Amino acid sequence: MSDDAADVRRVLSGDVDAYAALVDRYYDQCARYAVRMLGNRDDAEDALQATFLRAYRALAKYQERDKFSAWLYRILVNQCRSLAARRTQRERVFVREEALLLNAPDDAASGWSGEDEEFVQRVLSELDPLLREAFLLKYIEELSYEEMAALTGVGVSALKMRVKRACDRLRERWERIKHD
Amino acid sequence: MTESNQDPYVEWIAAEARRPVQLAADARVRIMDAVRATPLPARPRRGSRWLTAPRTLALSPLASAVLAAGLVGIGVLVGISTTSRDGRQQAEQPTAVAANAQLPVHDSLQVHRFELRDPLASNVSLVGDFNEWSASATPMERTADGKWTVTVHLPPGRHVYAFIVDGAKGSTWMPDPAALRAPDDGYGAPNSVVLVGQGSAT
Repeated sequence: MSDDAADVRRVLSGDVDAYAALVDRYYDQCARYAVRMLGNRDDAEDALQATFLRAYRALAKYQERDKFSAWLYRILVNQCRSLAARRTQRERVFVREEALLLNAPDDAASGWSGEDEEFVQRVLSELDPLLREAFLLKYIEELSYEEMAALTGVGVSALKMRVKRACDRLRERWERIKHD
Repeated sequence: MTESNQDPYVEWIAAEARRPVQLAADARVRIMDAVRATPLPARPRRGSRWLTAPRTLALSPLASAVLAAGLVGIGVLVGISTTSRDGRQQAEQPTAVAANAQLPVHDSLQVHRFELRDPLASNVSLVGDFNEWSASATPMERTADGKWTVTVHLPPGRHVYAFIVDGAKGSTWMPDPAALRAPDDGYGAPNSVVLVGQGSAT
């Protein structure tokens, strides 16, 4: 039995603290996706809280033949979609201060200033959400197209097209920067 | 190794975006505080475990003969159904066989039956906000006439769902042809809506 399955069984047996092990195991990865997808810290924290709480409430529905990480990720992707849809009117510009706050200590110690972080986040935020989601799942979470399809409910060919278009957009932006 | 390795700029963006992020120091603590304030998730019902658990069945020679005769009969029926399906393969399209039925139960949950007619599918499962969109949580069962059905317990309210159909074109998501279509979420996978009322609970 995997660590995940064992922890799920402990939670379902009444050991609530076993859920902390699952949160710890997947928090950082989920946090990275949420920040890259939503573009700011407050929304990412909301998405994480809703994701882990929703997964906890639904834990009895989790099937052990599924990977827990994939099941959790499906919830996270949907939470991020919902949050993104609810805040379409809000300012999406990623401010420098926010970028500095998001730097992990290790990166700060290695001289990573936050300027790259700010730039990357801004470039990602300029992508259409559909393209951004596909790009993040492919290149940041490094999922296969089959895994992405199972997670998003979108066909493999459509996902490949979205990733290609996302890369095209990024390249176009780079060309503009070089010529400015 | 990813495709973006062929493009240094895209690869640089991806590498930067893969760096870890740091959120508020107490964010995990707040998650666990919220979890502890939430009732424990309900364990699977014992009845459902009894139904799905493997078991050994001891039969007398007479009972075995009767059972074997019954299985042969079922096999003949399935054979007829398959032949019929093949005969009209080009014309078959997934269709709703009836409005998805809602049956009252004696608590706040409503028993709801989902149905889809798709004789050509090899597997169909139900996904929705009630099962966290899990492709494997709610498989549907095929009837002899090509319908796929499943019965689930739903709390009152609005639920969004879809079917995952394994067919000749691979695994595809599709809305329920007999139900209201959910507003487009912009992500390319159309869903359906079912409204489960409170009034029908008895």
